[in-house]
Amino acid sequence: MSSEISEPVLQLRNIVKKFGDFTAVDDINLDIGDGEFFTIVGPSGSGKTTMIRMLVGMDRPSSGDIILRGQRINDVPANKRPTCMVFQSLALFPHKTVGENIEFPMKIAGVEPGKRRERADELLAQLRLPLAYYSKGVNQCSGGERQRIALARALAYDPDILFFDEPLSSLDFRLRKTLEKELKDIHRETKKTFVYITHSLEEAMVMSDRIGIMNAGEMIQVGTPAEIYDAPRNKFVGEFMGEVNTIEVERVSEKHVRSLSDGTEFTVAREPDNFERGYLIIRPEIVKIGRPAEDLPNRVHGTVFNDYSLGSRIQYQIRSKSDQYQWLVERLQDEPYEGKLDDEVYIGWQSEDAILVSD
Amino acid sequence: MQAGKTNFAKPLILVWTACIVIFLYTPMVSVVLASFSRKRYFSFPVENWDTRWYEKAFTSLSVRDLLFTSFSVAALVTICSVVLAFFGALAFARYDWKGRKLFQKIVLLPIFFPQAVLGLALLLWFSELGIITSWVTAVFAHMIWITPIVTLIVSIQVYSFDPALEEAAMDMGATRLQTLRDVTIPVLSPGLISGGVFAFLLSWGNFPLSLFTTGADQTVPEWLYAKMVSGYTPMVPTLGSLMMAGAAISLFVMYILYSLYKMRQKRRFAA
Amino acid sequence: MIRWLMQPGVRAAVPISILLLLGFIGPLLMVTGYSFMPPRTFSLTGTPTLANFISIISDSYYISFLWSVGLAAITVLILLVICYPVSYGMAKMFGPWANLVTMIIAVPLLVSENIRLFGWVLFLLKNGIADGSLQYLFGIHLPSILYKVPAIILGLVYVYLPFMLFPLVIGLSMVPNAVKEAAFDLGASRFQVFREIEVPLAMPGILIGSLLVFVLALGSLAESKILGGQAVIMIADDIESAFTFAQNWPKGAMLSLLLISSSGCLIFFLFKRIDLDRIIGRR
Repeated sequence: MSSEISEPVLQLRNIVKKFGDFTAVDDINLDIGDGEFFTIVGPSGSGKTTMIRMLVGMDRPSSGDIILRGQRINDVPANKRPTCMVFQSLALFPHKTVGENIEFPMKIAGVEPGKRRERADELLAQLRLPLAYYSKGVNQCSGGERQRIALARALAYDPDILFFDEPLSSLDFRLRKTLEKELKDIHRETKKTFVYITHSLEEAMVMSDRIGIMNAGEMIQVGTPAEIYDAPRNKFVGEFMGEVNTIEVERVSEKHVRSLSDGTEFTVAREPDNFERGYLIIRPEIVKIGRPAEDLPNRVHGTVFNDYSLGSRIQYQIRSKSDQYQWLVERLQDEPYEGKLDDEVYIGWQSEDAILVSD
Repeated sequence: MQAGKTNFAKPLILVWTACIVIFLYTPMVSVVLASFSRKRYFSFPVENWDTRWYEKAFTSLSVRDLLFTSFSVAALVTICSVVLAFFGALAFARYDWKGRKLFQKIVLLPIFFPQAVLGLALLLWFSELGIITSWVTAVFAHMIWITPIVTLIVSIQVYSFDPALEEAAMDMGATRLQTLRDVTIPVLSPGLISGGVFAFLLSWGNFPLSLFTTGADQTVPEWLYAKMVSGYTPMVPTLGSLMMAGAAISLFVMYILYSLYKMRQKRRFAA
Repeated sequence: MIRWLMQPGVRAAVPISILLLLGFIGPLLMVTGYSFMPPRTFSLTGTPTLANFISIISDSYYISFLWSVGLAAITVLILLVICYPVSYGMAKMFGPWANLVTMIIAVPLLVSENIRLFGWVLFLLKNGIADGSLQYLFGIHLPSILYKVPAIILGLVYVYLPFMLFPLVIGLSMVPNAVKEAAFDLGASRFQVFREIEVPLAMPGILIGSLLVFVLALGSLAESKILGGQAVIMIADDIESAFTFAQNWPKGAMLSLLLISSSGCLIFFLFKRIDLDRIIGRR
């Protein structure tokens, strides 16, 4: 699980997509390795759907090249490409049975009915669907079952690369978690290249070998989940990871920065090249509160305003005395902060735990 | 749908659509052209442009009678069918009740029905009941066909009507009547108005039902038909053009009213 | 029963139900009754007889019936072909312009049918607009189709075009783009997407449009009278003349009954296949 990839199966070279004056995808370069589970993450409007539509062949890039195993495939339409997609809406054929849905790509390819049936049964088994579902209508199936049918249909096409356009986004939390893991299992079983897009970094973290983060048409950062978690490249990536404390700061001297709102100084372990001004990102779970915070190099004084239970953890909101910034601090549920609400406390963190970014 | 190749289909479809629109308007343009021809018997290209037939139409008393009858029938049909269709649409789309599916089908049936046969059946019906046919019976006949259409139009609006609005109003103490007046009718008004316009125009132009149910009275479409089959007179295209102008004016007035309504809404909610 | 009557839906259904009972169901029952009365009688008190039915099937009425069926079927086929691309454009391509196109196509519906048909007479007439233009521009003279069968078909296609077009638009807009794209992505060609996905999913609209046009064309009167001269007698002509010139109400009633019941079977089949709530309310 390093960011080194094996033989690239799909290469994007300077991909640009414009709709009139609007640039939806702006000069993207990316290599996706053979057998990799790659996830593109971004908020809605970041260009990720446009991107995947070009990769599948539903849209054509305004400029740049899409290269599949060394062949430029820009002008190859979707039905001639050895790739296919699981749609956000799943796009199951409502007038066909589960079996007919799964057999569709084989029917189109001219596979004989006996072989089709055999393969469909295999796929039903692989996706943990009862064989009796073969003749069931797709509209009679539950959300999770429909997901599996869509996946089975895509696998029946036997694609080189399987694309996923947020197929899990409409499901409830628990089912989504189950299916995320199942998908990763299927990825291991089939050893195919999976390219997944989602707006949920959490989902991406669970499943992916590597993640690419997109915003406003640009690919901001590509790396393994650990790389992205440990070293977000900018404020956007940092905040996209989940709830974080973000302080706008400017450089004072080497490894020293000052908050722009109240002038408090902090130290950092590393700083980006030519750093002048930017943001200090501090994750809630690394912030100490109360006594343990008092000896730390970076400290803020504030009042405990509220607490929120997050299941395994508890989150506290601390309002800074000097600038009213609402700090988030997290503790594990079984080792909570001992004080009361409205207590005046110190919070603090180690210099190497905070991340300094330029933009 | 896919990379590149759709682009040639779109212009073709656009051109084809334009052809269809031209096809739809060809006969109407023909009528207008003929109405301005001076000749007793129409021939094209028109050699002498003239408006004398319009002068004749405006001064003719019988034309005035015809227009008045057509207008009275259409106006009455509009009022009655919109009221009936309002309730009909609520039953059609708003409430869930046992028998609704059957009701929906029965309401739609007259739309599918051959109008000439319906007109004849009604003629028989009136004579069996001893009712003398006149423009009033034509109003009734038109309503049989038009009310279901208006019901359908209003229903489309009702389907998108959130029943929670009514419930909220009643929850805040409004009576059924107040709810109807202050919530249901205003929300459904676009559907009711377009239904009304349709009702007026469909009645205004109706021929097969009028033919058998107006008795001694005559509407414009009937008169036109009689003249078409019995012998051409340039008054036919002239009155035809006037009918089309009437329809166009009603549509235009509706459009203006609609725009004013939109503007008022905008101004009211802008503040 | 009382509780059923007290439901708001039932009460709202009452006024229009009364209207249709008095103006639709009543007359239809009476026509049915008349069709079993002895020929040329004018009351419902005679002894029921099948005389009308027998005289109709032994006479040459089947010719006008077949003409009506044939012309209606041809009209449906022509309209399916010419309306499909336009509906596709309106459902999938024109976007916000689709409303304007809908308006433009709907407006002629509001002009009396016989005025519009008369416009075609003026257009097709000898020395009319088509002929006159050809003579004026190219000096050629072509025989006119007016008062012949093609003119009737033209009239039927013309008058019922919106009745095919709008259901097709609804049908095609019920086909989700993603489903078509998915099929395409799974290797289907354009034609396979059309045959396997688009047509089956748009079928409710195609069925409604086809049956609506068929039934309306079957009972049409004005097209054959105005554009066809006396080239062809359609069934509605026969019905009208039985009631009026021939003064044979029972025979007219029996002809109506035959026409109504054949259309009725089709409509019944249609209503069985489709869910009105889904199509009208798009739910």
